[in-house]
Amino acid sequence: VSAERLAQQAGRFRDAAKRSLADGHRQAAIDTGTERLRTGRLHAWSALDDAQALRHRARAIRTRTIDELDLHLGTFTRAVEELGGHVRVCGTAADACAYVTDVCRRADARLVAKSKSMATEEIGLNGALEAAGLRVVETDLGEYLIQLGGGHPEHIVAPAIDLTRADAAAALSAAEQRPVEPELDELMLAARRQLRDVFKTADVGVTGANFAVAETGSICLVTNEGNADLVTALPRVHVVILGLERLVPTLAELTPLLRLLARSGTGQPLTTYTTLLTGPRRAGERDGPEELHVVVLDNGRSQLRGTRYREMLNCIRCGACLNVCPVYRKTGGAAYGPVYSGPMGAVLVPLLTGLEHAPSLPHASSLCGACTEACPVGIPLHELLLDLRRDLVEQRIGSPLERLVLSLWSYAWSTPRGYRLSTRLARLGVRLATVAGPGRTWAAARTLPRFARTRFRDRR
Amino acid sequence: LSALVHDFLASAEAAGCTTQLGAGVELRDLPTVRAAFALADTGSVVFAPAPEQGRADWLDAETLVVLVPADRILPGLDELFAAVRERMPSALAIVTGPSRTADIEQTLVVGVHGPRELHVVVLEDEPPNHRVGSTS
Repeated sequence: VSAERLAQQAGRFRDAAKRSLADGHRQAAIDTGTERLRTGRLHAWSALDDAQALRHRARAIRTRTIDELDLHLGTFTRAVEELGGHVRVCGTAADACAYVTDVCRRADARLVAKSKSMATEEIGLNGALEAAGLRVVETDLGEYLIQLGGGHPEHIVAPAIDLTRADAAAALSAAEQRPVEPELDELMLAARRQLRDVFKTADVGVTGANFAVAETGSICLVTNEGNADLVTALPRVHVVILGLERLVPTLAELTPLLRLLARSGTGQPLTTYTTLLTGPRRAGERDGPEELHVVVLDNGRSQLRGTRYREMLNCIRCGACLNVCPVYRKTGGAAYGPVYSGPMGAVLVPLLTGLEHAPSLPHASSLCGACTEACPVGIPLHELLLDLRRDLVEQRIGSPLERLVLSLWSYAWSTPRGYRLSTRLARLGVRLATVAGPGRTWAAARTLPRFARTRFRDRR
Repeated sequence: LSALVHDFLASAEAAGCTTQLGAGVELRDLPTVRAAFALADTGSVVFAPAPEQGRADWLDAETLVVLVPADRILPGLDELFAAVRERMPSALAIVTGPSRTADIEQTLVVGVHGPRELHVVVLEDEPPNHRVGSTS
C-alpha cells in the first residue's frame, strides 16, 4: 500500500498540529466550518423519529455486505458487464493508476474532468495521469480551489474547510487573470465560468463512488453541486474508482444508507444530486459516456476482513466524526496526512499503510468517544484507536522511552515493596512533573490528582 | 389536491424550488424538462434520459422549468427504487433543489454548476398529447 501517499511524513503529527494551532486564521475557519456541519447534522437527526432504528439497520446492512463481499462483487461485476461496462479489480494503488492511465491513452484523451473522490486521492491518481501527459481538472468547487492552490483536502466532505472567501478569491483571480471579488456569489460564478469549458471539452470523466448497487450494477454518486452529473454526462469515457467496501446488495438497502449519508455529512434530508448510473450510454440516448470502466479498489481493504478492525470497512465517509472530534477541530486535516483525517483517518490510515508508517495517528485522539457517538453506522472508532495503541506496544513500534517507563512501572508494581515505594514517592512525583522533566507538557494541560498527606495504609 | 401533491409542493419549496400547479404562460420561453418521477417526502424531481431529453438538458440551464405530472409523484425513495428496479435507466438523477455548494466558509450558495433556479410545475390530469411547455 502506498504509505507515502497516505501517511503523514515520518508520522510527525505533533509538528503538523503545532503549525496548525499557531495559525489563527486557519483555526477560525476550521472552527466555523466544523461547527456548521456539526449543528446541521444534529438538526437533521432530530427531525428523524426513527433515528436509532435507521442507524441499526444501516449498520446491519454494512456488516452483512462486508461479510458476503465476494458474492456481491460477483453480482455487481456480472451486472456491469451485461450492460456493456468493464470491471477491473485492482489490488494496489499502482495497479489502479496504471489501468486508468491506459484507459485514457487508448481513448486518446488530453483532458480529464474529475468529481471529488477520496479514493482517487488515496491512490494519487491525479499525479499519475499528469505524469502521463494528461491535464486533470477537479470540478468540485472546494477541490478546484485546492488544486489551484496546490494543497490537499483538509476534510473528507468539505475539502476546503480551512479556506476563507479571501483565499478563494486569490485562487480564482489568479486562474482568471483578473480580480474576482471576495463575495460568495462572485466566487461561485467565477468557478462556474472557469469549469464550464472543462465539462464540455473533457475526454474522460473520473469519479469515485459513494455506493455501488450489486443487483443492478449501478454506481451511486452524491454531490450538492451537480458536478459529478456533468462529469459523467458529457465526456466520452467514464472511469469510476470504487472502494471495494462500498457495495450495497440491493436498491432497497441503498435507501437507509443515502438517508444517513446526507444527514450525517451535511445535515440534509437528501443530497441535492443523488444519481444512479447504470451502464454506459444506450442506443438512442443523446449523451452519457460511450465507455464505462469501474476500477474496484482493494489497496489493503480486503486484509481487514476477519480482523477486529473489520468494522472500519463499514465507513460511508460522511465526515461526521471529524466535525465532533476535539483533536481534528484544533489540528485540521493536514496533521493526519494528505488524504484521510479525523478519527476515521486515524483508524484507516494505519490499517491501510501499516502502523509503522503512521505511529502517531492512534494517539491523535482524546478517546472521548464523540466520534463513535456521531458515526451513523456505529463504528466504535475510539475503541479501534485504543486497539491500535495496543498493537503499537505489541509490535514494539511506540517510543523506546515510553516502553522503558512502562516496563519499570510494571516491574515496580509486581512486588509489594516496589508498590509501597511508588505510593510513597507519588506526592513528590506529581510536584516534580509540573516543574520539569519530560512529563511537564503533559502535566501542564491536566489537573493532576492531589495525594493525601498520609497514605491509607499508614493510617492507624 | 391529493396529499402526495400537497406534500411534494411543500417539500420542493423547502428544498429551494419555486412551485406552481398548472403551467403558466410566462414559463414558455425557459428551458423545460419533464421529470420521470417526483418524491413527496424530500421534494425531489427525478430525471432519466428519454429520446427527446438528454442528461445535459437538466444540468445545463441556469434557470430550469421542471414539469411534473401529478400521477408520477411517489411518497419517497423506497417507492422510487421499487418502480425502477426492473428497468434501471442508464442515469437516474434524483435532484432536490437547485445546485448548491457550501465549500467556501460552509455557507450556502446556489447555482455553482447546475441550475440556479428550479421552477417546478405540477400538471394534473393532462391528456398525453396536450402537454404544455414543450419548448426544448
